[in-house]
Amino acid sequence: MTSSINASNGASHLISLENVTKTFPAPGGLFTALADVSLTIDKGAFAVIMGQSGSGKSTLLGLLSGIDRPSSGNVHVGTTAVNKLSEREMSSWRGKAVGIVFQFFQLLPTLTAAENVMLPMDFCSTWPVGERRQRALNLLERLGIADQADKFPAKLSGGQQQRAAIARALANEPRVLLADEPTGNLDSRTANSILAMRGTTRAALCSWFSQLPSVSRARGRFSTHGPFCAE
Amino acid sequence: MTREGFLASNPASATIRVDSVDESLLNAIRGMPQVAAADARRMVIARAMVNGTWGSAVLFATTDFRNLQIGVVAPRSGQWPPADGTVVIESSSVDFAGAVTGEPLTLQLGDNDPVSLKVAGIAQDVGLAPGWMEHVVYAYVTPATLAKLGGPSSLNQLQIVVRDKSLSRSQVRQIAFAARDLASKNGHLTFDVDVPEPGKHIHSAQINSLLMTQGIFGLLALVLSGFLVINLITAMLAGQVREIGVMKALGASGNQLAAMYLGLALVLGLAACAIATPAALLIGRWYADFTSSLLNFNTAGFGVPRWSVAIQLAAGTLLPVAVAAFPVLRGSRISVSDALRDFGLGARGNGVLLRGIDGLGRPLLLALRNSLRKQQRTLLTLATLAIGGAVYIGALNLRTSIRGSVDYLFGTINRYDLMVRFSEPHAPDSLVNVVEAVAGVTGVEAWGVKRAALSIGASQLGVSFPLMAIPPGSRMVSYPAAEGRLLGDGDRDAMVVSKTLIGEDSSFRVGATVQIVIDGKTSSWKVVGVVDGGPQPLAMTTPPAMKLVTGGDKTDLTVITAPAGDVSAEGRISRRLRQELGENGFSVASIQLVAENRRILEDHLLLVVSFLLVMSQAMIVVGGLGLASTMSLAVLERTREIGVMRAIGASHGSILALLEVESLVIGIAGWIIAIPLSIPASVIIGKVFGSIMFPVPVTFVPQWGAVLEWLVVVVVVSIAACAWPALRATRITIARALSYE
Repeated sequence: MTSSINASNGASHLISLENVTKTFPAPGGLFTALADVSLTIDKGAFAVIMGQSGSGKSTLLGLLSGIDRPSSGNVHVGTTAVNKLSEREMSSWRGKAVGIVFQFFQLLPTLTAAENVMLPMDFCSTWPVGERRQRALNLLERLGIADQADKFPAKLSGGQQQRAAIARALANEPRVLLADEPTGNLDSRTANSILAMRGTTRAALCSWFSQLPSVSRARGRFSTHGPFCAE
Repeated sequence: MTREGFLASNPASATIRVDSVDESLLNAIRGMPQVAAADARRMVIARAMVNGTWGSAVLFATTDFRNLQIGVVAPRSGQWPPADGTVVIESSSVDFAGAVTGEPLTLQLGDNDPVSLKVAGIAQDVGLAPGWMEHVVYAYVTPATLAKLGGPSSLNQLQIVVRDKSLSRSQVRQIAFAARDLASKNGHLTFDVDVPEPGKHIHSAQINSLLMTQGIFGLLALVLSGFLVINLITAMLAGQVREIGVMKALGASGNQLAAMYLGLALVLGLAACAIATPAALLIGRWYADFTSSLLNFNTAGFGVPRWSVAIQLAAGTLLPVAVAAFPVLRGSRISVSDALRDFGLGARGNGVLLRGIDGLGRPLLLALRNSLRKQQRTLLTLATLAIGGAVYIGALNLRTSIRGSVDYLFGTINRYDLMVRFSEPHAPDSLVNVVEAVAGVTGVEAWGVKRAALSIGASQLGVSFPLMAIPPGSRMVSYPAAEGRLLGDGDRDAMVVSKTLIGEDSSFRVGATVQIVIDGKTSSWKVVGVVDGGPQPLAMTTPPAMKLVTGGDKTDLTVITAPAGDVSAEGRISRRLRQELGENGFSVASIQLVAENRRILEDHLLLVVSFLLVMSQAMIVVGGLGLASTMSLAVLERTREIGVMRAIGASHGSILALLEVESLVIGIAGWIIAIPLSIPASVIIGKVFGSIMFPVPVTFVPQWGAVLEWLVVVVVVSIAACAWPALRATRITIARALSYE
């Protein structure tokens, strides 16, 4: 992926990548997943990254979330220079500032849906202990699965698991919401729910394999196959 | 090996105490057809100056050390045999005596003046219980040196070795009594006859106890190691489930896959053998040295038998394959679709467990539920920890039982502080009067004692034991009757026996009439009661009953009470007794301190317990390894979960705490299970110990101290076992943890 683009809605930038390059050691030498990428995304934006497998979508999300660090360049979320944070600062920052919807959802199987949603609040102590369950139930209700709150992931359908994962990602009211290849399960209703909860202070970024599905309200659409494009 | 080493010294089959042994008596005994060898010696109880205080010493004297045929003494260093005016120290006493070759050692015999003798060399007698354990200095001197110390120069012990080594103890006893009768016919005064168990070292019971313990622990360790292998292979299969799916999709059959993984188990077993076999040889050598020190001989020149190495190799290679068969056969049957559908986190959750406990935070809840997630693995780990814990608590319970028994024996039963033996027998009243007059003596009783043997036929003798004549109203002992009744003033042919004696021969049951041989005369006795008499087999009767059998009541034994401050190795009371009694013509042969006897007994018994504890600690290590492997596998299997948690805000500390709590949950569950399990463990350990050493009242209720000690051990082991896996978990990058390829 090599590009420079911005998804601007006129608001101030929330996410900004400056000349970011990411390389990985590979048997045949260094493999460059991202080369000199610059990118800005504003508050309230909902952007989609599209590309073939191995084109660097997940790498980009990883850099934005602080899961990975760039080989060169800078990543800013708000005023935070993400790539400058220490490991200790990073986990706390990530828990509070970034909500991640993982590929295959990755709900912890030994916790119920509600408990999964409460877990980030426990780790980051973002909500008073007595209010955490109620907040989790509220989120699940807004995503339409409040009645599944006390079920373990194994008892939930794929769509229900996805909603629980989104609720977990939103638990700490993150400023950035990232979804890594929700494999087509992100139906329009769910997408609209996310957008409804996104509000104006938050940005959402979603990686997508190849073709963009029916996410009609996406304001930015970046292709990692060739130059970025944005709408 | 130990038996061979002991028998190589040609130990005495019997020792007969006589007034003196001359050449004609020796020749007469050597002429007996059943006797293979006969030697004469004198054994004298003395005192030795050990690190500034007087300690016990036993001096052996003979006329020809060089040509000893019985109880052969092997020179180790310096001069051998001892020259006149010098002393050779037995090697097991060297450290205890603080003796140095070429330096003087001060010895004192009876009331005579102390004499400093040069230590000329060091020699070894494998037939002696080790001096360091018995708290005694064994030394070899010539009769002339003995005379210099003020002792008699004649030899008074006749030792024989029977020709037929397969004879039983009672058959040997018959020959010994025949030899004693021959000595009597030759005009000698004869005294007691001692016949040890043929072919058995004096510490054989301890060694048997240790070997049995070692054997049981070896088997347990093998079983628990099997659990480890099951855990390891199960985890390996779990980690390679997709590879298994791919191989099956490419045409591999379940049997092919099973053979592949069983082959891997075989390779692991071979690798383990390559490490364990040399280590076992080293540890085995160390252990052999340790046990040989208990038996007072060395293991130099003994090799490791090939069959032992063969068993190690067979167990090391076949056991992993055998136990791996269970998980391998199950894992290789997985369907291709199930195997390839291995994305995301595990599908199953143990939902019912801990549901509804809202008070717990999610991290703690997660740790608790995760600990129960792999139930089979958790059960195996729990079993390992619980068995180790049960044995650990059982061993501590046994220690408590032994200490309780020793306290009971020396506090409640025996109430005297010193036992004084005189060189000659005296009338009891005169002994009591003269001892009572010594300053510091608060109580004294004169007791009779005779060596007795059970007669079990016209010419057969059974177990031998000391028969004590103790006044029924004695203030020095208080034996509670375990069965039957105690002795009364009117008893004339009655005896009570110790539990240990009845354990050696059940003929001594309450109500039975037994024929006893004392000083060569047979008399009839009725067993009226059984008492807890400690580790020694003994019987008690009244002084009048003893007088009826022996024809006199002279004795050489008194028991004394004295203030605690006066009673010690260097205590005033011992010095006064020797001095004042000697001045009155009562030569003191020996003074035994009960506190010292207690210490020696505790050393003997607690050595076995210490060994038991070491073995159970080894099992705890195995349990810890099991827990460590379980936690390592948990980290391996839950790498992605850990990545997810870190991605949603968990710090390194949170992940560490999560895994540590999980490990602690398993450890503490093992601790809880070990508590009830320790009850049968304590009973078994106590019973086995009792049957080998001496009966102790079994403490099977887990002692709080032991339970808490085990808790501390479990917590430490749990934290330590998890430390490395937990640390490793924090080092996995989130990106790698979340990758799908």
